[in-house]
Parts: sequence; structure tokens; C-alpha cells
Amino acid sequence: MGLVQRRAKQLESAISICLVSILVLIALAVFIRQSDYDMGRFGIETAVGEPITAKLRSLAPAGFETLSEIEVYHAENLFEKINGKAPLYIESGFEKLFTQRFISKDRESLWMELFIFDMAALRNAFSVYSVQRRADVEILPDMQFGYRTSDAPYFVHGKYYVEFIASSKSDELLKAMIAAAQKIQTNLAVDKAAQIPELSLFPQEDLVAGSFKLYLASAFAFQGLTDTFTARYNFGDQTITAFLSRRPDPQDAQLVAKSYHNFLIENGGVAKPAINKTLEGKVVDFYDTTEIVSATGPFVAGIHEAENQEAAEKLAVKLVNKLSEAAIAPPPRVPVVFVIIGVIIIIVIVAAIIAWAKRKKLSYRQSND
Amino acid sequence: MTEQNDKNFGRRQFLTRTGKAGISIAAAGTASCLLYDAKGPPRQAVKAEELVTLPDFSVPTVTGQTMSIIEGSDRKQTVTKAIELLGGMERFVKQGETVAIKPNVAFARPPMLGATAHPELVAAVVELCRKAGAKLVYVTDNPIDASASCFTLSGIRKAASAAGARVILPKAHHFKHTTLADGKLIKNWPIFFGPFARVDKLIGISPVKHHARAGASMSMKNWYGLLGGRRNIFHQDINTIIAELSMMVKPTLVILDGTEVMVTNGPTGGSISDLKRENTLIASCDMVAADSFGCSLLGLKPADLPYLAKAQIAGAGTTSYGELKPILGTV
Repeated sequence: MGLVQRRAKQLESAISICLVSILVLIALAVFIRQSDYDMGRFGIETAVGEPITAKLRSLAPAGFETLSEIEVYHAENLFEKINGKAPLYIESGFEKLFTQRFISKDRESLWMELFIFDMAALRNAFSVYSVQRRADVEILPDMQFGYRTSDAPYFVHGKYYVEFIASSKSDELLKAMIAAAQKIQTNLAVDKAAQIPELSLFPQEDLVAGSFKLYLASAFAFQGLTDTFTARYNFGDQTITAFLSRRPDPQDAQLVAKSYHNFLIENGGVAKPAINKTLEGKVVDFYDTTEIVSATGPFVAGIHEAENQEAAEKLAVKLVNKLSEAAIAPPPRVPVVFVIIGVIIIIVIVAAIIAWAKRKKLSYRQSND
Repeated sequence: MTEQNDKNFGRRQFLTRTGKAGISIAAAGTASCLLYDAKGPPRQAVKAEELVTLPDFSVPTVTGQTMSIIEGSDRKQTVTKAIELLGGMERFVKQGETVAIKPNVAFARPPMLGATAHPELVAAVVELCRKAGAKLVYVTDNPIDASASCFTLSGIRKAASAAGARVILPKAHHFKHTTLADGKLIKNWPIFFGPFARVDKLIGISPVKHHARAGASMSMKNWYGLLGGRRNIFHQDINTIIAELSMMVKPTLVILDGTEVMVTNGPTGGSISDLKRENTLIASCDMVAADSFGCSLLGLKPADLPYLAKAQIAGAGTTSYGELKPILGTV
């Protein structure tokens, strides 16, 4: 055995010993940690070590200071903070909740608590925002989906859903909360390119502003309707709810539409003739309300619990027409930069394989020589 | 790897090393499978003689005086009237008795948001108990979220103390294990027991709230606060656990506050926009009946809340509250 080979072998042995030692240490640490199963010891985390910590501390609006430590909750202990509402978040992709209380420097009775839910993705954040959105609110146009009630603001910031609670109804508090909200937008970096394309697929005419909702699972109590958006429309003194869900392909859309239609019939619905013949076979009378369900390209779409069939059909036709345009539109193009990076990676891999093969061939020849 | 190594790295050596690596991976995988404990560590065993049972705090039934429903916006006035119509607090609390009041203090939220029992209502009930001759009145609950913050920010600590009650925050030694006879979920489970072990009477106070999981949170759901441990697991079978709580706890009286009802985004709420003024307060010796009426303030029927039917079947009360001929009043 040559000197080079011997040294290489020694080096490999040393590396192996190090790796095995590390594995043993990991196993030991896991064993020690797992042997303590008293969950009472796993209380609220403070945000030490969280990159968001410094940013949250800096959010105190003018005239306010922090009242408590930043608290961090994850899926396992979210119930400690919001108890029965925890499943709503957890089932929508929740990752972490950061909370922080601020108090007025001048008046002890004025305090607020900031809740920042990290929902992992814009769609998830939008989902929990949308199902909790209050009616009769004032829109905050500078914030993503922002609105305020008489006592607090609410908005989405990329993957974060943000809300406040106020100790009392107070203009001073409300101003301070909005100031903190603006700081969040400035200080908390998010993927600004993220979008929810489905929202632009709903017809705009008669749309009730801010009425979009996203049900990630079991819309209208039907398990097959996942990732379903709804929007409300004004028709005279009535409102009608339209819905759409993008499926992986047109076949799946047909299947889900048929399953939902069957679900309605199995639960007391009765198929009824359509006024507009293009909707024939898609209209169901469900306990004196009109349900319409159809598949257009990769979309399942329709109307939910409308009181007026004629108005429901008019809206359904508008929705189907809009979706038809989207269904025939070319798929979104992959950004050029990703294509270039992909090509470069493939070239590098191919070159590396060729170089390795040549080297092997050469060493084989040398050993035979 | 050096060129020399590379040159001598033959097929046999490659196969040998691959084989060794494979054996190592297989051995690690096998060991993991053998050591994996799918059930997790067993719950800390508690001997049967160490299990506790909550006392029965109920009072004898008086026909026609089981439930009262009062309309009015002032909680102190409505609760006073509601209890007066049931025979007065003296019917429930005797001279020299010790009373525990269990308000819903689940969250560190201000009273304005209606997520917790209203401090004015808690104070009013404390005062009524003291006037009836109660020797001692405790106000206690087991919020999961930092209990001191919950009692302080909800305003209950200050209001109850000012009215003459002693506020008890949960401590580890207050928890004992219990098993509910015929229970499916409450088996060898820790409950907040300490403050209730030595009292004579128990009064529950809760607001009417929408609840994302249960549909509604009212008198029966209020006892969820007595559960210790990682009680969130019961959210998976919320109707059964609420029904079992109604079997486990036999209160003297429940007071259900529908003055301002949280109609959306419960049980935490977060905005006064989630509230609707209904100006109704219920006092009842039958909490199933109280909740069966209370749900109407949320636009629900008793059939919409499966735990009510389960509780009725278990004998905890009746959903047909009309049969109790509730006494109506206005202040």
C-alpha cells in the first residue's frame, strides 16, 4: 500500500470516527430529551433566537412601550393562546404565532396586543383572514386586504395574517395600532411577488368589496371541494354567493363537479330545469334555494344557496364566461431566469458526468498499462 | 479522493463498501423500527384510591323555579332579578357556607370583547353570595394562557377582589386525577380540583359565545376550564367532552350572560364587531336547559349542538327548557 493510499485511508478513518461520534451524541441527546415527557415543562416560548424578535420590538408606536415579552406559539401549543380557535389556523397551514403587548406610556388603561400568525403562504394567510373578516368595516387601502372595525385593524402581509386587540374602544389606540401595522409592512420582509390569481377570475360587476373567502377544505360541508374561493354579489336587495375551485386538470374538475352535484341530491336537493339552457343539468333546488355547479376547463364553479334562480343563473353565466377565457389562456410562463438557471445546471451536470467518465477511462487504461 | 485511490478503487472494493453501507443503513432502520414506540410513554399511572370525584353541589329542585330569563342591559340588575325569581340567593347559599364561583376566564382579553365572563357580573354574584351569608367566596378558573394575565386583563381579578371574593389562580398542587364513571374521554385525567374540594356550593358564570369547534360556548362548555393536562386533544371530540363535563360537574347554579353575545369569530373574538346586544340573562339550576335556550341567542336550535342531546341522554338536564316553565322578567 502506497504512502498516499495509507494517508487517505487514515484520513477516511478519522472522518468516519468523527461522523460516528456525532451520530452517537445526537442519539444520546434525543434519548435524554425524549425521556422527559412532562409536557407541562414545554411552556410558552419567548422569541429569543427568532429572527423576527428585533423587528417586533421595534414596532412599538410612538407613545407606547412593550408591556410583555414576545410570545411564540407553534402548532402544538397554539391552543394555550386561542383555545378553540386553534384548529382553524392549524388546518390552514399555521406555522407560528408571535404576540406582543404594548401599553401607553401615559395611560395604563390603554394597551393593545399584536398577533402575527405565520401561515407559511399567502393563500393560507388569506384563508384565515377571509373566514374571520368582519362585516361593515372600513377598508384600509394601504394594506393587503386591510380593513378596520371600530376598535382594531386586520390585514394580510405576505404569509402573515395580522390582527390586534384593543383594551378599549379608543381613537388613540386605533391610531397607534395602524402605526404599528405600517411598521410591520415596512420592517417585515415578505415575498411581494406572491399573488392569489383566482381573485381576478370572479366577475367584477356587482361584486361586494372585500367579500372573498377561501375555504382550504370542505367548502359547503362537501369534502371534495377544497381550495374553494367564494365571493358575494349584490342583486337588488339580495346577495348571491359564487364559488370557484381550480383543480389539477379538466377531468378532475368534471369529477368534482359531478360529485358535488350528487352530494346535493343525496342530501335532499332536487335537480330542476334551468332557465338558461346552457346551464341545463347543473341547477339544483336545495331546500328552496338554488345551487348551480359546473365544470369549465380546470375549474369547478357555481352558485351557492341563492334565493333567486334567475339572478343566480345570470351570475353563473358571467362566471362561466370569465372562466372560459381563463381556461383557454396559455398557462403562465416560467420566468426566463428560472429557465436559464435550469439550463446551466443541466449543462454543469452533463459536463461533470462526461469528465468523470473520461477520468475513469483514463485511470483504467493507466492501470492496464 | 486522490488519483492513486481512484485508480485502485476497483469493482470489488466498491461492492464491499456499498454492502457495508447498506448493512449499516438496514441495521439503523431495523433498530429504529424495534425501538419506535407508537403509543408513546404510558400516562402516569394513578392508583384508584388517589382518584378524586367532584362533589355534587346541586340543590333540591323546586318545581317552577329551575330557570329564569331576564331582559335588561344592566348585568347587576338582571342577575339580581334572575336569582330573586328562583327563590333568592338564600335558596342556594346558606349562612356560613363557602362558595366557589367559576367564571369563564379563558383568555387574556379585555371585558369589552366578550370573550370572558363580564367582571361586573362576577362582582354582582359575589356580592349576592356574601349578602346571603357566605363565609367565603372563591373566584377561580384554569385558563391555559398565563392565568395571572387572564384574570388581570379580563378585569375579573380586580372586580372580584373588590366585591370581597378571594381569587385563586391555578397551581400544580390543585390538580388531581379523576375518572368519570361511564365516561369515554375523562379517564384518569387531571382536573382543577383543589379549590372545589372544600367548598359547599359552585356557581358557573359564562357568556354566550360562538365557538368555531363546538358551535357555541355557554354554561356546559365553561367547565372545560376544569380540565388540566393537554386538554386541546379533546377538541377532536368536542361534543363528547362537553357532554361528559355536564356529567362530571353538578353545579348549584349557572348564570348565562347574553347581554352582549359573541356571534362570530368565537371563542376568542377580537373585535366589538363580533358582538351583538341581546340584553338577556339566564339563571338556571339545569345547565342543559340554560344552554338550550342560550343557543337561540346565536340563532341556533338545540339540535344544532349535538352535545346538548348527549347531555340530556346522560341525564344532565333537559333540552326541552319550555317544560321547566322558565320564569320571565324584565328590569
